[in-house]
Amino acid sequence: MVSVPKELLQTVAEALARVPVDPGDLPAICDQLGAQLEGLAKLDDLDLLNVEPATVMLPPGEAPDGR
Amino acid sequence: MAADELTLLSIAEAGERLRRRTLSPVELTRAYLTRIRAEDAAARCYITVLQEQALASAATAEREIASGRYRGPLHGIPIALKDLVMTRGIRTTCGSRILKDWVPDADATVAARLAEAGAILLGKLNMHEFAYGPTGVNPHYGTPANPWGRDRMPGGSSSGSGAAVATGLCAGALGTDTGGSVRIPASLCGIVGLKPTYGRVSRAGVVPLAWSLDHIGPMTRTVTDTALLLQALAGHDPADPSTAAAAVPDYRRASDPDPRGLRVGVVREVFFERLHPDVRNAVEAAARSLEGLGIRTEEIRLPRIHHAGPATFAIITAESMAYHEPYLKTRASEYGADVRARLLTGQFVLATQYLKAQRARQVLRAEVDGALRAVDALLLPTTPIPAPRTDEREATVDGVREDVRAWLTRCTRPINLTGHPALSLPCGLTADGLPVGLQLVGRHFDEATLLRLGRAYEAVSPLRDRRPSPAT
Repeated sequence: MVSVPKELLQTVAEALARVPVDPGDLPAICDQLGAQLEGLAKLDDLDLLNVEPATVMLPPGEAPDGR
Repeated sequence: MAADELTLLSIAEAGERLRRRTLSPVELTRAYLTRIRAEDAAARCYITVLQEQALASAATAEREIASGRYRGPLHGIPIALKDLVMTRGIRTTCGSRILKDWVPDADATVAARLAEAGAILLGKLNMHEFAYGPTGVNPHYGTPANPWGRDRMPGGSSSGSGAAVATGLCAGALGTDTGGSVRIPASLCGIVGLKPTYGRVSRAGVVPLAWSLDHIGPMTRTVTDTALLLQALAGHDPADPSTAAAAVPDYRRASDPDPRGLRVGVVREVFFERLHPDVRNAVEAAARSLEGLGIRTEEIRLPRIHHAGPATFAIITAESMAYHEPYLKTRASEYGADVRARLLTGQFVLATQYLKAQRARQVLRAEVDGALRAVDALLLPTTPIPAPRTDEREATVDGVREDVRAWLTRCTRPINLTGHPALSLPCGLTADGLPVGLQLVGRHFDEATLLRLGRAYEAVSPLRDRRPSPAT
């Protein structure tokens, strides 16, 4: 669990994202983000340099026998 | 047959009586409406009940069947829709205060397809607000009661769908599944739920949570009923470019053959870690039951699947925030606190993290594809824990305390990321009498094999013919 400063998120929300955040919501947001940051950093372990992102939202390859 | 008993018939059983005209659509619809009137104040499954419209549709179905214009096994069957499926002229709230008065001017493709098949729409079902949560707890419309324990969560986000089907307040329902929202309530409420392959069922006219993870699926009391609903729903839709042109098989027939000789892989990583002991016992027993049916089970590895959790987090938070941003800028106070906080988290996920997650997705999809070249399906629990109490925020298993939302989604979210079809079906009860869900994951567009395995297992399941007691 990474500790995320509430003040940092408040600044990002105001200056960059421009979506206001009620200070009362910040603890829950910090917890949710903090719980995932290590896992997000570890995505680098997958050696993604040559992987195309799945940005085109089309279905995966269809089964060859038409199922 | 008493009216209450009619509401517990499977779709296949009721459909056969309707076809033979030993049961009328009006009689069946009245039975459901009577039960809804008697029980839904406490069950809180419905946001909108369409009493007059349902009876009028049933009368039309009755005339059609009587005049020889029988449409098929859903003709005259009373069903209900999760309240984010757009319905023309009928309010569609998404379980929210923000859209409490929204009346769409068009039907979602899935609503239109069910109507075309002759199904009778009983109403719109309660849900976790905007489908963003696995508990089903809703601050605006109340939380549907889990019929296996009234103080227990029904699971979400398709909470009303799961509870209504299990309680007998509709014959079948549609749910949506972005991180497990069909399978989790199916597991917690002891019914069958299918998340089809990404691209198998149109999402046109269904309010999104996260575009690249959203799926729509049937929730029913039997595997055959799931096959019947899927038959009406599946197939390409020009209004949804993500739908595939893959041929749609006859699912009922495809689920018939004896599954002897099929191979099922048991995945220990992530999915069997830190399980409630009764869940572990029930799922292990289900694997043994499959072996008893002549299905070969073997251990299979997915060594990188633990990356699915954070990858799904980045995608779902970023995509849901992008959709909700206009409302969050002007009407944030109208969201429930838990959903608002989850949505706002999305503005702190970096674009690079989102894209990294979409790249990781390709790797993990290939890993699951690889496993499914060695076996016909994967076997997992649906949820690591049974239904928590409605007011529980955290749960402890093996000394590890976590948010119940993390527990409930751990085994389902990876399969939204990879897009494979996944079927949840009941496989036992805990010592407290709560249902346990077994999850089977198949190859892309091979729902038929899951239905085939599911039907065979259902016949020997310890929950076969078990119903929740109304007084529980």
